[in-house]
Amino acid sequence: MHDAPIINLGGFNLDLSAVLMLFVSGTLVFLLCILATRRLSVENPGKLQNFMEWVVEFVQGIIGSTMDLKKGKPYVSLGLTLILFIFISNLLGLPMGFITEAHKPEMIFGHVIEATKDLANGEHAELLWWKSPTADVSVTAGLALIVFFLMNYLGLKNNRKHYLKHYVEPFPLLLPLNLIENLAKPVALAIRLYANIFAGEVLITVILKLGLVGIPFMAAWQGFSVFVGALQAYIFTILTMVYIGQMTIHEEGESH
Amino acid sequence: MVIHWENIVITIIAFALLYWLLNKFAFGKLFAVMEKRRELVRGQLEEAKQTREQATVYVEEQKEALKQARQDAFEIIEQAKQSSSKQALDLLDQAKADATRMKEEAIRDIESERTKAVDALRGEIGAFSVNIASKLIEREVENNPADQEKLVDQYLKEVGSRS
Repeated sequence: MHDAPIINLGGFNLDLSAVLMLFVSGTLVFLLCILATRRLSVENPGKLQNFMEWVVEFVQGIIGSTMDLKKGKPYVSLGLTLILFIFISNLLGLPMGFITEAHKPEMIFGHVIEATKDLANGEHAELLWWKSPTADVSVTAGLALIVFFLMNYLGLKNNRKHYLKHYVEPFPLLLPLNLIENLAKPVALAIRLYANIFAGEVLITVILKLGLVGIPFMAAWQGFSVFVGALQAYIFTILTMVYIGQMTIHEEGESH
Repeated sequence: MVIHWENIVITIIAFALLYWLLNKFAFGKLFAVMEKRRELVRGQLEEAKQTREQATVYVEEQKEALKQARQDAFEIIEQAKQSSSKQALDLLDQAKADATRMKEEAIRDIESERTKAVDALRGEIGAFSVNIASKLIEREVENNPADQEKLVDQYLKEVGSRS
């Protein structure tokens, strides 16, 4: 099992790997979007612009399938950021991992890395620096928490009466169950994304141990991982929109 | 699987920052341009529709004009035909009239010539007759010119009624 390169900044455990990968992922998404929207043209769109417009329309399709597109318009930006960020994050771990082996307490930026603090003679720790940020359950939990807060906040703000009523329906005895249902949503979101991507990376590590024999397996698995990465990004985004739609929009005649 | 709350916080901050940056620098422009493009396409479709309608109207007009032109041409040809046949008839009538007139003139001429000739002949014959008669009966009528005149006239009447 690989350890995360965590340093302790006065009680705040800073995961350098997570920071690095989030930064890389965010930068890539940002650069992609800036490049795609740098030379916008109304009459003669470039390839990147066409690609971005396709993504936007894809996200609009997702939102349109879960709620009224007019009401869902403000969430297009959110969906776009989510799907691009998660997809690129999922892909980052595929081409390579970057692992260092530490045999003694290592220092970085003047702080000791937590996992190597207690290393004595003969012991060693493997520090995983480069990975998919979404292969870290804390990161996916962060994303899921954003969605969780957002959907409950939007539910309370736009649809307060039905949002609150929903917890005691069909009868008040089910309140705990409804609360659990609500809480289970972000947990499921986080675990699903984390498990898919983490499992993919574990399998890549395993196939690497096969040596040359593993090349065809690796090719197949890499391809499948790209597919899984896209699929998980899509699932995360569409579930986010489904939850927001459920919480914020009360459809007449619907029995919540 | 260890959850570090620090990572959750970092993730939330990173994602919020990315969302804010993208919204500020990329998506706003992109959405605006997409909306414009949609408008452009809609406008072009509208324009194409209008152009097509105009073209249809124009074609109808052209058809109408062509039909009109054909009818005009037909009428002109008909007119030409009619006028030409009329002209031919006129010419024929004219020719007939001319011919009749010329025939009549000729008849008249012949008649007058004949009258003239008859008159001249009558005169000459009278003179000759007088000559002949005077020579033949010179002696008998020499002394009676009144009988002579009477005789001649009688003779001339006979000649004139015979001719």
